[in-house]
Formats: sequence, structure tokens, C-alpha cells
Amino acid sequence: MDKLTREQVMHVAYLARINLEEDDIEKYRVQLKKLIDDIDKIKDIKNYDEEFLISPIEHNTNLREDVVGQMLDYKEVIKNAPNSNGNFVEVPVMINE
Amino acid sequence: MSKYLDLSLKEINKLLKDKKIKPIDLVEEAFENIEKNKDINSFITLDKENAFKVAKELENKEVDNLLFGIPIAIKDNICTKNLRTTCASKMLENFIPNYDATVVEKIKSKNMIIIGKTNMDEFAMGSTSRTSYFGAPKNPWNKKRIAGGSSGGSASCISSRIVPFALGSDTGGSIRQPASYCGIVGMKPTYGRISRYGLVAFGSSLDQIGPMTRNVYENAELLNILCGKDEKDLTSIDKEKEDFTSLINTDIKGMNIAIPKYFVTDIVEKEVLDKFNEIVEILKEKGCNIEYIDIDYIENAVTLYQIIAMGEASSNLARFDGIRYGYSYENPQNLEELYTKTRQFGFGDEVKRRIMVGSFILSGENAKIYYDKALKIRDDIRKSFLKAFKKFDLIIGPTTTTVAYDLESNLDDPLKTFLDDILVIPVNMAGLPGLNVPIGFSKDKMPIGLHIIGNAFDEKTIYKLASSIEKTLDLNLDPRGEKNE
Repeated sequence: MDKLTREQVMHVAYLARINLEEDDIEKYRVQLKKLIDDIDKIKDIKNYDEEFLISPIEHNTNLREDVVGQMLDYKEVIKNAPNSNGNFVEVPVMINE
Repeated sequence: MSKYLDLSLKEINKLLKDKKIKPIDLVEEAFENIEKNKDINSFITLDKENAFKVAKELENKEVDNLLFGIPIAIKDNICTKNLRTTCASKMLENFIPNYDATVVEKIKSKNMIIIGKTNMDEFAMGSTSRTSYFGAPKNPWNKKRIAGGSSGGSASCISSRIVPFALGSDTGGSIRQPASYCGIVGMKPTYGRISRYGLVAFGSSLDQIGPMTRNVYENAELLNILCGKDEKDLTSIDKEKEDFTSLINTDIKGMNIAIPKYFVTDIVEKEVLDKFNEIVEILKEKGCNIEYIDIDYIENAVTLYQIIAMGEASSNLARFDGIRYGYSYENPQNLEELYTKTRQFGFGDEVKRRIMVGSFILSGENAKIYYDKALKIRDDIRKSFLKAFKKFDLIIGPTTTTVAYDLESNLDDPLKTFLDDILVIPVNMAGLPGLNVPIGFSKDKMPIGLHIIGNAFDEKTIYKLASSIEKTLDLNLDPRGEKNE
């Protein structure tokens, strides 16, 4: 990669849903450029096999029976939510009037 | 003060069976050890009250297995019900899981006693454990040096003889590399050997949980209880039950062992390479056939790892949104700000870098250019290893290129953390089992390790060679300077 622009850094931060302060943008621009330059080495690899496995080992996929089983108690699960109200998890207003 | 935990597993088991000691004696000793080794910073959370409670309850139970009543430490990215699981991140500083990981269920079913959660790199991303939100663990052999990572807390707690057993996880060397730096035995089993249910996901196609112990035999005993098919993890494999200790201390004469030429190039420091070559000579004397081989694309493994691990991490870590659990940015103006500021302040620098590069890798056309291509070449590496295993029983090399370095060095280089794992990453690419066994020390008394790689699901043969080397060298691996019997 010839250059990683400020706009490109802001775009990946947007994709990653990470807010960047003004001072962070240049810091990450330098660091991400270094990492992306390194992974760009993959572009030089030729003559590889077009077939591939998603999993690193060969095995048959055994799906479990689709039957209702025990679930976690939602009252316990909801205790980990930073903001909750009764049985519900609270989020900021999504639609403005 | 009693030192039962320095005895061998079989000796401790006999004392428990003969009722000469109780599990609570072991738990007391473990917490005394933790107190004495506070400066090593192996633990993020201790489970003292519950450990004593469990030990007390065990007094009324029959000692029905070898691991009964033995204290164990768990890496803090493995979920433990009602016990804080932080992944060494501010993001999960107050997260209390509602369920046990499958491995934790298995450990509890054998009545082992969990004493706490070990320190690590944040979300297992790093090679030094310095990215921990809770401060880096230290190397028991020299407290100014790194313990390695990401399972640095587990490695340092075994090395300093706090407890005999710990769990680690290995995505790109995170069990074997800190095991090498700290002078302990660490096994990354075959991908699919152990259920990943309850392991906080980092690179799902690479992650594997494994045992970290002070010697080879005890490592195999812990693996015996961890493995098996789990309905909750689709990638876990159904295999007939076997005893991983069965080939330990059997004759290694006639074994065919390969060394990838790449593992003995100038990427490895001379001192480490010299020690490795000494072992090669010993193996030849013992009647092993040694050959040097090529593995296709092995020199590209780090690049492939970066692409696959960062791509998968960016997707896996999308779940940390400040809504259902974990850190949440207070008083956001809208939902978007809740996401972006939660992730800005909840994640550390290394994690943010990897998520951003991962997002870049998986976005639009890049997914084909980088991720798909990496999967294809990864499969070529796997095939090349499998071809080698048609002829050879095992593949060996040094585990790391150097010994553990200074805690303050190499802090500004985002690439260094990947290069530390250059010799262990190819094994994750191929889904194979790999183990570190200590083989000696550098002149400044830092441990050096041997990396033994086996064919898929052939952990037994790895233990066979490792136990032979361990027995031949008979090293003193106790940093306190006392002989660990």
C-alpha cells in the first residue's frame, strides 16, 4: 500500500465502530500502515491451490438435534446488562421524534 | 510450612487417599504461594472463599481420581460461572458469566479446585501479556522480563510453583511460547480435540484450549480429562477415548523426526539454536532418524495468521457494544455514540488496532484479496504438513527465536508481537497439536524450549518424545532453586 490516508483510517474506525480522537488518527495511521504493509506480502504469493477449507482440520459436521433444551435464566443473564429495566435491556433512543 | 504441592501428582493423590492430608491443605498452600509470589502478578481474580468451601465439601467425598482435590488456575478468557471473567480487558472488568465453559465443567466434575483466573494479554492478543488491563505478569526466572503471552499468567503461575495445573488458550502460540519463556510444559492440542464452548472467541478457526503444567506426565493427565466431543461446540471432534500417558517413557529408538529447514535459519538466536542442536545430537544417539525438510509456505505463516486472526477477531469482538454486558459509555447522545465510545474506552490499543485492521481485511473486495486467499494458502501449509507426516512421526524445532526479553523493550513495534510467535504459528495454521518442553537455559539462566509437533490427533506420540527428553535432561526447572520432585 503506497499511502494510508487519514480518511481511510477514519473509514476503518467507522467500520469497526471505534471512536477516534483527533490525536489518535495520526497515531493509528502510522501503526495500521505498518501492519497493512506487512499483510500485503500475501499479494506476492503465487501458485497456491484454489481449493480451501474454512476449518483447519477435515471433519464431518455433526449438527445436534433441533430440540428445545435448557436455556440460561434470563433474570441472571440480564444482571450483566449495564442498563436494564425489569425484563428488558435499555438502550438509548433510536428514533428521534 | 508444608509443601505438598511440590510433590508429584501421584504422591499428592496417595496422601489424599490415605487421608494423611485434606484438599483444604492444598488450597491453603496454594494461597500461601500466591501471597509469596504477588509481585509476579499471575492472577487477575482469586476465588479464595469458594475454593475453601469446595475443599471443605470434598472432605466427605471419596478420592476417586488422580486429579481429585488438586488446585488449578484458569486463564481469564475461559468462562467460570459466578466468577469474574475479564479477558484482561476494561471491557469485561465486571463481567460475571452465567455458565461454565465445557472445560470448566469437566474440571469440576473431577473435583479439581479452581483457585483463580490468570493474567493474559487483553482478549489474548499479544505475545508478552503486557496488553493486560491489569498490568503484565512477570517471568519467575527474572522478574524484569516478560512471561510471554498470551497465557503469561498461567505460565508464570506454574513456573513459580503456585499450583501444579493451569489452563491456557492458543490461537497463534499463546500456550507454547509463554511455556517456553517460563520453562514449563504447554500443549496446544489438535484443533477440535477440546471444546471451545465458553472460551471467549478471538480467532475461531485457530483457538484451542490446552493444559499447562510443570512436567510432561501431568500435562497428559490433564489432557485426558479435557478432551471430547461437545454438543455445544460444532468443531469439537468425536474420538474414541484414549490415554495420553500410554506412550510416556517408552523407547524412542527408530522414531522418524523431521526438522523444517526454516526453523533452523538465522531467524533463531545462536544461543537458542545451539541448545536445540544439542538435543538433535541426543536424539540421534538414542537411535532417532533425523531429516531436514521443507514445508510449503511456512515462511508466510505469520502473514496468513495476521489476516485470519485479525479478520476473525474483528468479527468476534463486534459483540462488545455496551448493551448486553461489559463496559458501557455513560450518557451517550445516541446509539452510535454508545457503540463507538464504549469501544474507544473499553478496548486497549492492541485490540483496537487488530479490530481496525481486521475490518479493513474483511471489507468489500478486500475479503477476497486477503482473507479468502489466506485460507487457501493455509490449506496448502496443512497439506504440506500432512505429507510430511506420511513419512515422519514428529516434527521438531525451537519453540521461540529468543529467550524471554526485558519487560520494557520492543514496546513501540506493532509487528514484534507477531514475530515472537513465528515458529509456533504454522501449527495453528495446520490445526495440528504442538507442545513445548524445556531443554535448558541461556547463559543468563533463562529457559529455552523445544517445540514438538505431531500429526492431527496424535498427541500421544508428542508426549512420548517429550517425556524421553525430559527424563534424559533431568533439568531443575524450579526458579526457586530447589529440586522439584
